Amino acid sequence: MRGQGFGFIAPLLVLMFVAFNAPIVYMLGLAFWEKGRGFTLQHYEGLLDAPVYLRVLGNTMRVALVATLANVVIGYPLALWMRGLSNRGRMIALSLVVLPFWVSILVRTYAWIVVLGNGGLVNRALQWSGLTDAPVSFLYNELGVTIGMANVLLPFLVLPLFAAMIRIDDRLLQAAASLGAPPRTIFWKVFFPLTLPALAAGTLLVFILCLGFYVTPAILGGGRVPMISNLLDTLINQIPRWETAAAISTILLIVTLLIFAAYRRLDRKASA
Amino acid sequence: MIGNTPWTQRLLTAAGFFGLAFLTVPLLIVIPMSFSSARALTFPPPGLSLRWYEAFFGDSRWMEAMATSASVAAISSVAALVLGGLAVYGLRRGNFIGRGPAEGNFMAPLIVPTIITAIALYLGLAKVGLLGSFLGLVVAHTILNVPLVIMVLGVAIREFDQRIEQVAWSLGASWTYTMRKVVLPNLAPSVFAAWIFAFIGSFDEVIVTSFIAGKYETVPKKMFNELILEVNPTITAVATLLIAFTVLALAAVAFILGRAGKLKQTLV
Repeated sequence: MRGQGFGFIAPLLVLMFVAFNAPIVYMLGLAFWEKGRGFTLQHYEGLLDAPVYLRVLGNTMRVALVATLANVVIGYPLALWMRGLSNRGRMIALSLVVLPFWVSILVRTYAWIVVLGNGGLVNRALQWSGLTDAPVSFLYNELGVTIGMANVLLPFLVLPLFAAMIRIDDRLLQAAASLGAPPRTIFWKVFFPLTLPALAAGTLLVFILCLGFYVTPAILGGGRVPMISNLLDTLINQIPRWETAAAISTILLIVTLLIFAAYRRLDRKASA
Repeated sequence: MIGNTPWTQRLLTAAGFFGLAFLTVPLLIVIPMSFSSARALTFPPPGLSLRWYEAFFGDSRWMEAMATSASVAAISSVAALVLGGLAVYGLRRGNFIGRGPAEGNFMAPLIVPTIITAIALYLGLAKVGLLGSFLGLVVAHTILNVPLVIMVLGVAIREFDQRIEQVAWSLGASWTYTMRKVVLPNLAPSVFAAWIFAFIGSFDEVIVTSFIAGKYETVPKKMFNELILEVNPTITAVATLLIAFTVLALAAVAFILGRAGKLKQTLV
């Protein structure tokens, strides 16, 4: 019998259309529509004239790229190390990755204020070891924002990467070893290529999340590291320019969806 | 096989420990700091006291925010569970056209950057005059948590043998009876996990709430606003309570799922 089961999704579908799809469409409308004139691109022309928008875009891209790169550098060895652990060790390590993932992003961001502040753990350790005399300022600059974002997003990379790594059959690596391949060759020619789709997918996911990040730059940047989402906040809540906010949101939405489409293709390849 | 020379193995172990420390140490530092007697955030704390917990529990604005957070989370998590649960059951068991796009639509709040959802809801709610209303807040939280419910229950329903339901149907059970007596008891651990995840998701939500809540204060919204202005040690106590709450909630989920032998499939 065709068409069975639609009744189950109908209530949620109605709610989604009214409370999610309609507002998004309304926002797109604000970006491209002018009362009495119809379709217009004037809100986008305004963006190109003001240098502040391009500067914020540059900031966002730079922080997102560095934070994503830091995620790969920290996350790949972590997932690899977890793969080599015993079952019990894997469970413990996995819990320690999953737990921060569920702790409020505000708490995790705030924790960095405590750790990186002038009297915090890191500065105490640096001064005690004699590496520096005066406290290093990690907070309220791009460095702090990047560290905080890399930290918040790390589980998004490690969890899928670890899942892909434990699916790799040990016998493949044993076969390579029995044919005389040294460990380095086994890693780069057999293991790494098999993890590449998951790594690429995870990297794209982290990058997308970086682009729209709001809480961490607002707190750890102290207003000095404006990213796209903080600019949007200003345009909505402080100087009400809704059309400009809608225009920028539309660009961010399209870029996100494009990268997400690429992510989906890679992710399917990674789990195939 | 990988890193089986001693020094690469040692390097890998060091990198692994660094990664875990990077994730967990900041959270572990917050806990002792919340018992500090000093106003400044110096580590280690110069003395111990409960003054920041007293400051939190003694402040009626924090208590009010707590009540708002709890009621929004309670209502929206149940709404997300019921609507999302029904929907994902229909998606997995039904055979109507358009299941793919419908599921994509339900998962969209997870993919669309939250700041954009916040702005779209702000503009939309302002248009219909519901900006700053309790209803708007609950509906927004429901939508944001539906993807979590769909992910957790989607796996559980797919793994539950459909033939068991078909036996119930063929013996003449109505669909409500089958749901109540066959499907729900079997899915109970996953339903509980989905509800907890939705509750945490709502309780911790800050971006959309900051945009649309108007005069309503939730714990994360108040925390965010205070952190933007100045660092107040009371936040350290709030953060510790939130960490404890998350650990307890996840431990409950792990216990229930572990007893049902479903922990592994939900973790990875």
